[in-house]
Amino acid sequence: MEDRATITLTVNGLTQTRAVDARLLLSDFLRHDLGLTGTHVGCEHGVCGACTILLDGRSARSCLTLAIQADGATIETVEGLGRMGDLGRVQQAFRDHHGLQCGFCTPGFLMTITDMLRHHPLETDDQIREALSGNICRCTGYQHIVDAVRELARARGPLT
Amino acid sequence: MKPARFDYVRAESIAHAVEALAGAGGDGKVLAGGQSLMPMMNFRLVKPSVLVDINRIPDLDRITLEAGTLRLGALVRHRMTAEDVLVARHIPVLHAAMKHVAHLTVRNRGTFCGSVCHADPAAEMPMMTLLLDGTIHIASPRGTRTMPARDFLIGSLATALEPDEMVTAVDLAIPADGTGWAFEEFSRRHGDYALAAVAVLMERRDGRARNVRIAMMGIADTALRLSDVEAALEGREGTAEAFDEVVARLKASLAPNSDLNASADYRRHLAGALARRALADAWDRAREAHMEPA
Amino acid sequence: MTAFDASVEMRPKLVGQRIKRTEDPRLLTGSGRYVDDMNPQGVLHVALLRSDQPHARIRSIDVGEAFAVPGVVAIFDAGDIAGDFKPAIPTSRMKGYYATPFRPLAEGKVRYVGEPVVAVVAESRYAAEDALELISIDYEPLPVAVSKDEAAVDGAPLLHEEAGTNVIISRTFARGDVDAVIAAAPVVVKGRFRMTRKTPMPMETRSYLAEWDRRRQALTLHSSTNIPGIICDVLGTCLDLPGNRIRVVAPDVGGSFGGKGSLNHEEMLVCVLARKLERPVKFVADRMEDLTAMSQAFDETIEAELAVDADGHLLGLKADVIGDIGAYSIYPWTGALEPVQVVSFLPGPYRMEHYRGRVRGVLTPKPPTGPYRGVGRPSSTFAMERLMDMAARKLGMDPAEIRRRNLVTAEEFPYRTGSGIIWDRSAFQECLQGVCDLVDYPALVRQRDAARAEGRWVGIGFASYAELTGIGSRIAVAPGMPINTGTETASIRIDATGAVTAAFGISSHGQGLETTLAQVVADELGCRMEDIEIQHGDSALVPMGTGTYASRSAVLGGGAATKTARVVKTKVLKAAAFLMDVPAEDLEAEGGVIRARSSNATMTFREVAHAVYAQMGRIPHEQREDLVGSESYDPYLGTACASTHLAMVEIDPATFAVTVTRFAVAEDCGRIINPLIVDGQVHGAVAQGIGAALLEEVVHDDGGQLLTASLADYLVPIASTMPQIEILHVEAELPNNIGGFRGMGEGGTIGAPAAIANAVSDALAPLGIEVDTLPVAPDRLFRLVQAARASASG
Ligand SMILES: Cc1cc2nc3c(=O)[nH]c(=O)nc-3n(C[C@H](O)[C@H](O)[C@H](O)COP(=O)(O)OP(=O)(O)OC[C@H]3O[C@@H](n4cnc5c(N)ncnc54)[C@H](O)[C@@H]3O)c2cc1C
Ligand code: FES
Ligand code: FES
Repeated sequence: MEDRATITLTVNGLTQTRAVDARLLLSDFLRHDLGLTGTHVGCEHGVCGACTILLDGRSARSCLTLAIQADGATIETVEGLGRMGDLGRVQQAFRDHHGLQCGFCTPGFLMTITDMLRHHPLETDDQIREALSGNICRCTGYQHIVDAVRELARARGPLT
Repeated sequence: MKPARFDYVRAESIAHAVEALAGAGGDGKVLAGGQSLMPMMNFRLVKPSVLVDINRIPDLDRITLEAGTLRLGALVRHRMTAEDVLVARHIPVLHAAMKHVAHLTVRNRGTFCGSVCHADPAAEMPMMTLLLDGTIHIASPRGTRTMPARDFLIGSLATALEPDEMVTAVDLAIPADGTGWAFEEFSRRHGDYALAAVAVLMERRDGRARNVRIAMMGIADTALRLSDVEAALEGREGTAEAFDEVVARLKASLAPNSDLNASADYRRHLAGALARRALADAWDRAREAHMEPA
Repeated sequence: MTAFDASVEMRPKLVGQRIKRTEDPRLLTGSGRYVDDMNPQGVLHVALLRSDQPHARIRSIDVGEAFAVPGVVAIFDAGDIAGDFKPAIPTSRMKGYYATPFRPLAEGKVRYVGEPVVAVVAESRYAAEDALELISIDYEPLPVAVSKDEAAVDGAPLLHEEAGTNVIISRTFARGDVDAVIAAAPVVVKGRFRMTRKTPMPMETRSYLAEWDRRRQALTLHSSTNIPGIICDVLGTCLDLPGNRIRVVAPDVGGSFGGKGSLNHEEMLVCVLARKLERPVKFVADRMEDLTAMSQAFDETIEAELAVDADGHLLGLKADVIGDIGAYSIYPWTGALEPVQVVSFLPGPYRMEHYRGRVRGVLTPKPPTGPYRGVGRPSSTFAMERLMDMAARKLGMDPAEIRRRNLVTAEEFPYRTGSGIIWDRSAFQECLQGVCDLVDYPALVRQRDAARAEGRWVGIGFASYAELTGIGSRIAVAPGMPINTGTETASIRIDATGAVTAAFGISSHGQGLETTLAQVVADELGCRMEDIEIQHGDSALVPMGTGTYASRSAVLGGGAATKTARVVKTKVLKAAAFLMDVPAEDLEAEGGVIRARSSNATMTFREVAHAVYAQMGRIPHEQREDLVGSESYDPYLGTACASTHLAMVEIDPATFAVTVTRFAVAEDCGRIINPLIVDGQVHGAVAQGIGAALLEEVVHDDGGQLLTASLADYLVPIASTMPQIEILHVEAELPNNIGGFRGMGEGGTIGAPAAIANAVSDALAPLGIEVDTLPVAPDRLFRLVQAARASASG
C-alpha cells in the first residue's frame, strides 16, 4: 500500500521512469511531469475528450486514468503522431480540411480518430459522427472534422 | 478538480483485492474502468482511503459460455461486450443495448461489472442484468457468494455489496432460442446517459406471448423489472390492442421524478412511447415456437 | 460597381484563396502554447473557495488546519489584499446606470454561488484543493430575489445597496407612434419570448499566469483572454503600474465565444498575488469553475408586439425587454451590452417606421452576463423572426414572401432603423433569395407537405438578420463605454534578411487571423506569405490595441494591415528604384520579387533589405529609410453583414426530440479573405446556435444554486447533433472600407436559434404551436403539445 510510487512506462517510444503520487492523474503526469503539453485537459470528468491518449493501443481518457495505473504501459500522445515539418496522416487530413480552429480539442480528436481508424468501420457519415461523439469541439461545428475522417477512412487499409 | 489523497493497491489476485478492501476499514474502493469512479474522485465526491486497482488481476477479462448463461468477468470492458460474438449470437438484445453505452473511448475502459456495481439509475448494464435474470458473483475474505441482480441493485448508486466485497463476474441467462427482443432508448445526445430506456424479451408460443420480460430505466431511482406489466401480457396475443392496454397500465403504475432533464409527465409519456415500440418489435422478432425444432 | 479601395496595381493572389492555415502545424503536433502549458520555475498554483450562497454576508472565515497541508504557501481573503489594488469600475455614460465595483475576492458579502472568497496558494493544485477542504466560511444568509422579475420590483432585496436598486440599466429607443399604429393595424401578433441563460464554454478553461519581475518591478500576465490590451490598461490602473511595466500576453487561446472577453476576478487575483509573493502565480479554472463562474449570456424575456398591414408590410413594433445581468456589471462592457443590443437590433433588417423598445437590466444573484457570440442579436432575432412567422401565418402568407416584402432593398440604403441603427449597402434581399435557391425552397415545401400528409412533424424555418461588424469610432461597442473600440493599429517591419514581421493589437483565439492577415499583407506588400510572421495577442506590440471581439478583426485588422503594408511597400520600392536605377512608378512587387515593367531587372525583398540595412552607403544616407511602418485604421462607421438561414427539422412524436435535417446559410460577408476559414466560422457559429436552440441552458434553482455544473448537465452540440451545413456566399456590393471586408464570426449563432424555432413552430403548425422559449428541449416541447391538445379538445 502506498501513496507514492516509481513507475516506468513507454511514452511515444521512449521509456520514462518517474516517482509519482498515487493520485496524480495521467493527464497531469503527461503535461507537467513529462512536459508533453499537447495532451489537453478540458473537463476532468470524462466528457470532453480533450485529454484522449492511446493506452496500450486503444484510446482512453487520461483524466480518468491515474499515472500509477500506467506503470508498464505503452502510451501514445499527439506528440508521437508527427512533427511540424512531417505531419502524420491524421494531422495532415485535419490541416487539409481545416478541421481545427483554436486547436484545443484537436489532440484529443487526433488520438480518438487514430484509434477509430484502426478499429472501427467508419463507412458512413453517421458512423463517423457517432465515432466522434465522445469529443467536444466548440469551434468547428464538426463538419470539417467529418470531412477529414471521411477521407482518411476511404484511404485506409483493412481494420486491425 | 483533483482527487484527494489515497493509498493505492495494485491487486494481483481476487484474494489480494478483497484483503486490501477489508484492510481499508470500510473506506476502500475498487477501481475497475474508472469511467464513473474517477470523475467522482476528481470532483471529490468520493474520497476513498484505499483504492484497489483490479485491472491487473489475470483472467477476469473473459466472456464465457456456461450452461445456459454467459459469464462476464469483472474486467470485461464495454467494447468487448459490444463486439463479442457469443453475446451477439446468444443475447442479441444485449448486443443492441451496448450501442447506446457512452462513446467508443469510454467503452474501451468501462466494465460491465463496474457499471452494475456503480448502479447508476440511467445506465444500461444494471437494467440489462435485471432483464436477463442476472446473478452476481461476489468475493470477500470470507469466501464467495452469489446473489440475484434484483436483490443486488437496491437504489440509486446503491448495491448490496459489503465494504470488503468485490464482484468477480455477472452471469446473464441466455434467452430461449427464437425469443423476440427489443431495446429502445432515448437520450438527448448520442452516448449520453438515457432519459429512459426499455428492453423487452418475449417468446411466442401458439400465437401467444410467453415468458415476457420487461426492464426499464429512467422512471425510478433504479432500473426496474416491471413484473405487473409482464404478467398482464403473459399468455396474450400480440395485438395492437393488447400492447396499448399494457402500456396504459404501465403508465398508470409509474411515479417518476421530475429533474433537470425531464418532468414526471414527460418521463411517463416517454416510458410509454418507448415501451409501445419495444413490445411490438419484440413480438415481431419472436419466432413461433412450434415452427422451430426445440 | 465595386467602390472599394483597391489599388489598380494590386493583383490579388492570396486573398480569396483557400489557403491552409499557418497556425495549424504547431497546433496539430501538440506544439501550441496555451497558458497552462507554461510552468516557470517556482510557479505557485491557486485554488479558490467559492461562495455556496447566492447572497450572504461573510461573518468570518476559519482556515482551520489548512496551513498545515503540505505544499500550502499562503491563504488570502479580501482583507489580506485590500491595500494591494483598486477595484475595476465598468463605467458608462448611460443615464441612471450604476457601475458595480469589481474585485478579485468577495469583500464583505457574496453575491452569487461561485464567487471567489478565499484563495489558497500552494506548490500544486492538488495541495491547494486539499487545503480548501479545511477552510470554512461562516455566512449570514441575506434575502434573495433570484429571478429577474422578482429582482426588478421595488423593495426587492438589493445586491448592491449603493445602487439603491437592482435595475441599474434602463433605456428606451423610439420612433414614431407605435401605440397608434398597433391600435389601428389589421394584423397584430405578439409573444413573450425567452432566451435562457447560456455559458460560452470554450474548450480551454480560463487560465492565468502572472509573473513579477523583481528587477524591473514589472508584471507580465499570460492570460487566456481575447482582449489583452483592455486587460492591460485596466490592470495597470488597478495595480497602479505604468504601461511600460505591465504586459498582458494572450498566447494560444482555446476559444472564447465571449467568455474570455471580459475582466475576471481570477485574472486580477493572480496579478495581485504574484506581486505580493514575488513568485509566478497560476490559476487554471477547472470545468466546474468555468460553468459556475465564467461570464454567462443572454437570459432575457422579450415581450413584443408587431403590427402588419393586410399585405404583410411591417407597420410597427413595440417591445419590453428585461435582461438578467447577474450580480455584477461586467468590465469593460457593462451589463448593458447584451440587453441593450437586444432592443437596438430588434427591428432587424426590415423597413418599419414605428418602433419603441424599452429595456431594463436587472442585477440578480448569478454570475455576470457578458459578451457571447452574437451579443443580443441571437435573442432579438429569435423574437423578431418568430413574430414575422406568426404574422405570415395569420395572413396565410409564405414566410419567405413576408420577408421579401419587408427586407430593406438595395435602393433604400443607407436605412435608419427605428432604434437608430444605420444599415448600409448589404445583400439583405439577395441572401433571402440565395438561400431559397440553394435548397430549392419550393421542392422543400413539397417535401414538407408530403411528410405532413403522412402525419409527420416536419417543418421549415427562416431567419433573416443583419449585424453591425467592424465598428469604427463613431459607435462604442457597448453603450456609453469609454473605451476606444474603433481603432486598430498594425506595425510592419522588414528586417535585414527580408523577413516581414507584422504586429497587431488584435488577438486571435481560433479564427485563423495569423493566416488571413498574412494573406492581406502578402498581397499588399508583394512579399511571400512564408516570409511573414503575424504577431498578435500581446499588449506590448502596438501602442493601442484592444483585442478581438465583435467581428472586428478582419475589418479593422485587415484595414490597418493594408494601410501599413502600402506605406512599407512604398519604402521598399523607393529603395529598389534607387538600387535598380528605374523610376519607382515602373516597379511592381509580387511573391517577394520586385520587377521593372520596362526591363528584365529584378531584385528580391531580401536583396533590397540587405542593401538598406547592411550595406553602408549603398543608398545615400539622405534617401535611406528603414523598411518599417505603423498605421492605424478606423472605419469610423461600421459595416453590415447580412444573412438568411434556413432550417428544416423533424420532430419525433414519441420522444419530442428535434432533428435538424437540413441547414443552409446564405450570407454576405463582403470580400472573403479565406473561404476555408469563413466556412469554418459559419459551421462553428451555427453549431453554437443549434446548441442554443436545442440543448444549452444554464439552470439555477430557486435558491440560486447552479444545477448544470458539469458537461453531463450543460449539453453542447456533439458531432452527431449536427447536420451537414450548406453555405452560399453572396458577395454583393463591397462595403466602403479599406479592403472591402465585412466582419463575420458571430453570424451563425444569431440566425440558427430563430430558424430552428421557426422550423419547429412550422412542424407543429397543425397544432397551432408557437415556440417562445429556447431551447426547445423535448420536455418543453412535450408540454407545449400537451397544452395545445388539451385546449383543442377542451
Ligand atoms: C462521458 C461518459 C459517458 C458515459 N455514458 C454512459 C452511458 O451512456 N451509459 C452507461 O451505462 N454508462 C455510461 N458511462 C459510464 C461507464 O459505462 C462506466 O464505465 C461504468 O458506469 C462504470 O464502469 P467502470 O468499470 O468504469 O467502473 P469504475 O468507474 O471503476 O467503478 C464504478 C464503481 O463501481 C465500483 N466497482 C467497479 N468494479 C467493481 C467490482 N468488480 N467489484 C466491486 N465494486 C466495483 C467502484 O468501486 C465504483 O464505486 C459513461 C461514462 C462517461 C465518462
Ligand atoms: S479532460 Fe478528460 S475527458 Fe475532458
Ligand atoms: S478547434 Fe477549438 S474546440 Fe475544437
